[in-house]
Amino acid sequence: MKTAVITGASSGIGFAALAELSKKGYHVIGIGHDQVRCEQAKQSAIAAFPEARVTFLCGDLMQQREIERIACEISTILETGNENRLEVLINNAGCVRSWYTTTEEGYEQQFALNHLAGFLLTYNLLPQLERANGRVIMTGSESHKNMRIRWNDVMLSRGYNPLTAYKQSKLANILFAKGMNDRYLSEGIQAYVVDPSLVCTDIGCKNTGGLVDWVWSIRKKHGVQPEIPAKTYAYLCEINPAPRELYYHLCKPNRFSAQVTSENADRLFTLSEQLCGIRYPNHADEIMR
Amino acid sequence: MNVFITGASGGLGRALANECGKRGYNLFLTDINEQGLKSIQLGIERQFNVTVTTASCNLTSDESVDQLLRKLDDNNIRFDMLLNVAGLDFEGGFLERERKDISRIVSLNNEATLRITHAILSRRREGNPFYLLFTSSLASMYPMPLKATYAASKRFLLDIAIALREELKDKQVNVLALCPGGLATTREAMRGIAAQGFWGGATTNPLEIVSTQTIRRLEKRGGVYVPGALNRALTFFGKLVPRRWIAAAVYQRWSKAQQHWNPVAFSAGTPKT
Repeated sequence: MKTAVITGASSGIGFAALAELSKKGYHVIGIGHDQVRCEQAKQSAIAAFPEARVTFLCGDLMQQREIERIACEISTILETGNENRLEVLINNAGCVRSWYTTTEEGYEQQFALNHLAGFLLTYNLLPQLERANGRVIMTGSESHKNMRIRWNDVMLSRGYNPLTAYKQSKLANILFAKGMNDRYLSEGIQAYVVDPSLVCTDIGCKNTGGLVDWVWSIRKKHGVQPEIPAKTYAYLCEINPAPRELYYHLCKPNRFSAQVTSENADRLFTLSEQLCGIRYPNHADEIMR
Repeated sequence: MNVFITGASGGLGRALANECGKRGYNLFLTDINEQGLKSIQLGIERQFNVTVTTASCNLTSDESVDQLLRKLDDNNIRFDMLLNVAGLDFEGGFLERERKDISRIVSLNNEATLRITHAILSRRREGNPFYLLFTSSLASMYPMPLKATYAASKRFLLDIAIALREELKDKQVNVLALCPGGLATTREAMRGIAAQGFWGGATTNPLEIVSTQTIRRLEKRGGVYVPGALNRALTFFGKLVPRRWIAAAVYQRWSKAQQHWNPVAFSAGTPKT
């Protein structure tokens, strides 16, 4: 039985992807930060598909020590249940903030959750992904376009704009995927980014306020249901041979920003390694540590 | 420059620590939350090339503070800046809260602040300017029913800051009282801001601007810093109105806000929305 890990799996796109992969026979390990919502999500998934094999782990992926704890728990599950292999990792957890807010490490929260969390979790699960020729999928967004990484102030601490922070984090998602493919495609690990388009979820209403909350409550009414983009995740998990493009929308490759270059991907990789206190291995021998 | 920060693992403490790290200052961080201290230490060291030392300390305890001071004295460490950030707030009616929680507000916000301020001022670098911050609040400007003890404790800090600024100016000590409105530092803070509707958002200050301006003003001349033009206007007009009228208006506003979000229930883990 193949295994998939999905972050932000208790609601929205993550939950829809969980349901889709459960139907296809995956053991899905969902990550959420609210214990009650995780339990409700698990019960909903089993109610809809009684043969689903779903495990939920609870933790706040904004905090790096929590990411490391959860990665250990995932590794234990994979070691005992899947020969230490991980076929799919979907870095979907994300947030929006109306104000500049920081994590325990002092990092801006949108950058920390939308990008660094996936970066650090993928690093911790790299050996398992390599064993399975796994696929890593990031939840991106069209809003990554018309944006550059603010290299001199990536935490946007000189004047915060919630939309700029979100757009930057989504650009970081696709740069991370590019960096992964530049480094590990030859080792069999393939990374993708899904553009889910405008989706009716609560991302803009959680821990936001004022204008952001109001604007999102109107915009989301024009969004599609999460089950629609979930099919693109399932497509990227299942299709063989693995597709070679980077950025997908409705199961088809799509154009992405000219900012997505190997130079920018390398620069973000180095910065992210520094902020996470890690160093991605150079080649296969180092991966199998 | 050696900077001592209390409450360093909280939202404002982290923002000020980041600001000092950006300026290349060495940091001595303390908080009761040891795990939080470790995390911010890693974050600052990874972002900025500065020395960060942490020590968990219960500032309300003489014994705990004395232990911390012994470690500083053993290493003959002298300071250039003290940022008093540690503090707490329990919103809600005076009788809805437990007596020990009410006492803790005064014990930490006031008594502990004086304890550590006296100790670090006594360990300032001789012959150099010293910069001293007290984190007060916009709440210090008015009597605030349903935040009565907190507001009064912040008024205490405001007055102490203004008094010490005069008393210590000949000793090259700049003193600043920071009086922010809402700061979106935690999920609880964000819920409280949202519960106040338009006025909650309007009186909330952007943390990144507050932290930059605080260090800038502290180093320049000190004084009283009320971030946000609206908050400054409320402060000015509040001085023209009898205090009991203000107390009545505040009580009406907070009563309405707490119908949407009960801070006592939120603290107990049974939030009502």
